[in-house]
Amino acid sequence: MKRSLMGRKVVVFLLIPALSLIFVFLILPGVWVLKIGMTNETLTGAKARNPDFVGFENYVKVLSDRFFYNALRITLLFVLGSAIIGQAGLGLLLALLTYRKRRLKSFVQSVVILAWIIPEVVVAYLWIAFLDKDYGTLNVILSAIGLSKINWFYEYPLLTIIIFNIWRGTAYSMLLFSAALETIPPSYLETAEVIGASTWRKFKDVVFPNIKSYILTDLILITLWTFNVFTPYLLTGGGPSFRTELLSIYIYRTAFRYFKLGYGASIATIALLINFALAMFYLSLSRRRKA
Amino acid sequence: MRRWLAVVLVSIMVIFALGQKVTIIANAIKGGKNSQVVDWFEKYIPEIEKELGITIELIQTGIRDEDFKARIVLDIKGGGGADILWIDGFWVPEFVEAGYLRPIDDILADIPAWKYYYEPMKAMGSYKGKTYLIPAGTDVRMIYYNKELFKKAGIPLPWQPKSWEDIIKTARIIKEKLPGVIPIQLNAGTEMGEATTMQGFFMVLLGAGGNLYDWETGKWIVKSSALKDTLNFYKQIYVDEKLGDAVLQVSPGAREKTFELFRQEKIAMYVEGTWFYTSVLNPNNPSWGFPDRDERIGWAAMPGRGKPGDPEFVSISGGTGFAVNVNCKNPKLVAEVLKRLLYVEPQLSYFQMKPFVSPRSDLADSCWTVNKDKFIAETSRALVKYTTFRPAFPVYPEISFQAQLLTERVVTGQMSVDKALEEFAKEVTRIVGKENVTEKP
Repeated sequence: MKRSLMGRKVVVFLLIPALSLIFVFLILPGVWVLKIGMTNETLTGAKARNPDFVGFENYVKVLSDRFFYNALRITLLFVLGSAIIGQAGLGLLLALLTYRKRRLKSFVQSVVILAWIIPEVVVAYLWIAFLDKDYGTLNVILSAIGLSKINWFYEYPLLTIIIFNIWRGTAYSMLLFSAALETIPPSYLETAEVIGASTWRKFKDVVFPNIKSYILTDLILITLWTFNVFTPYLLTGGGPSFRTELLSIYIYRTAFRYFKLGYGASIATIALLINFALAMFYLSLSRRRKA
Repeated sequence: MRRWLAVVLVSIMVIFALGQKVTIIANAIKGGKNSQVVDWFEKYIPEIEKELGITIELIQTGIRDEDFKARIVLDIKGGGGADILWIDGFWVPEFVEAGYLRPIDDILADIPAWKYYYEPMKAMGSYKGKTYLIPAGTDVRMIYYNKELFKKAGIPLPWQPKSWEDIIKTARIIKEKLPGVIPIQLNAGTEMGEATTMQGFFMVLLGAGGNLYDWETGKWIVKSSALKDTLNFYKQIYVDEKLGDAVLQVSPGAREKTFELFRQEKIAMYVEGTWFYTSVLNPNNPSWGFPDRDERIGWAAMPGRGKPGDPEFVSISGGTGFAVNVNCKNPKLVAEVLKRLLYVEPQLSYFQMKPFVSPRSDLADSCWTVNKDKFIAETSRALVKYTTFRPAFPVYPEISFQAQLLTERVVTGQMSVDKALEEFAKEVTRIVGKENVTEKP
């Protein structure tokens, strides 16, 4: 067994700032939400002043709430489409296509990172300007070449926010995979080439086994991020008719537009549990792989 | 030593007096929503500041009413917020229940103008025996129509429908004669928020002799033939005959988009309130104003369904006003500011800038100003006798949301009328309890 560099006391002492930050900004609000979720607190009306403790009543109600299931279904589709297939898939593809092509890589990376670093509100306006039914750039182009205009936000709302989120977040996956690819010793691929392996075999037998753990890390992170993302609200407001109402938007609507703070907090707790479950699932995958 | 003390004391007092500040928040922003309100404040605030030796800060916002409400609620719940709140009258009961507003009966005792306010207006601002709101103005609702479009479609002017059928017939003519023009927009859906309940749903429901609330028994009505006919009217307009644009109704930013299309003369008829004419279409409004509004835009009273026993015409009123934040530190100063804002001269100026139905008899009787606005005079004369108020109880916003959802489900074709009504009855019953709902034939 290795001896630690510092004594136990020093370690505890050095951890105090980090732990207290985690306690104040993560654990305390978490417990707070848990507590509010068991009351019928509202932001206006008599229950704003004197909320009652209702135990698990909110949770029972959530489980028969059609808006909750709608939001859950949309969130899962959104995560699957924009994070797992979109960002991770496209990120991997871009990383592979630009592998060992230095100029192309720096160009593609600059473009993709640009989409990643623009502030969210600005991005939302850009996309509204791009997709608006009457004045959007895309529809102006479509009608200029003789095609009919499409009301993207109404006819394909979910697809629109999925594509938006892919565009927005691919940079992270691409950077991570590009870096991962650099860790593969060049001789592996050169050898594969010499023995005449097909592109697919090279990917399947050389590249994939070497970056598997990176893919898993990427999936964990972007799944959790995407699950809690709120930016599509700026594009669609959750509409039309709740067709883009992600869980985060539903929580916001419940708590801050319809002022049902307790009920909103209980949905937030459920979202937290789902996040936990997802994280556990991925972690167990990675543990099984190591074992 | 004593002299020093005096100097210190005086300077503290001076600093204290200079630091005295009254803040006012209104959902108004220069160049945008309710721009005239900002102009009005800017005209009178400097005088009041000078007279009282204080600073008055106007916090401008130009956002959706629902977001404005959330902002105020969070401000107050967090222990802060502006001293004077220019809010919608129907928020009063739920705000009071939450303990957000300060009763202002003591302030009003010092305001001479208070005796001129009409009783129904005073009632709008009071709850459980105390007064919380000084009404700034009230409104009525009607159908606006674009006279140019009507002329092009060959519809005789002036136009006044006598029944729902008349509206449908006119809309059919416009649909046939003027392709690309939306014949009628009748607000529906949750995106429009309270504008759906007031400018859409209630205007139809009242016309069928219905209501959401039974004032006699104090119960909420979850099932009636009037409700069903209301939904069928919506369905006829948006689904069966496509005389209105349901997509527009439920799109993000629906209200602003509708104003925009009305301005572009792509909407022929639109049911809206006084505010639409005097503020949105105001020739001075840089976004949506018509320079020749008075010639170009007409209005008609909203007719009832047209069956025997139905009301001839309907309207419903709301109104905004000044309330005082419970966190307000200096009510005396606030009282002085309010008193001066309610003097006759600034009030007359307000109604000139932003014509509204006056809540005060002394202003309405002032023959040289408020009544001089032709639109206000005519709409008041024609509609005030038909108008009613919404059942603004603390639970009302939740019921109102259910009504918006009800129309949304029908106009987008997500549910049949019967199914949507069934869901509505179920949800409202859940919200207010079985003992507080009733059915009507």
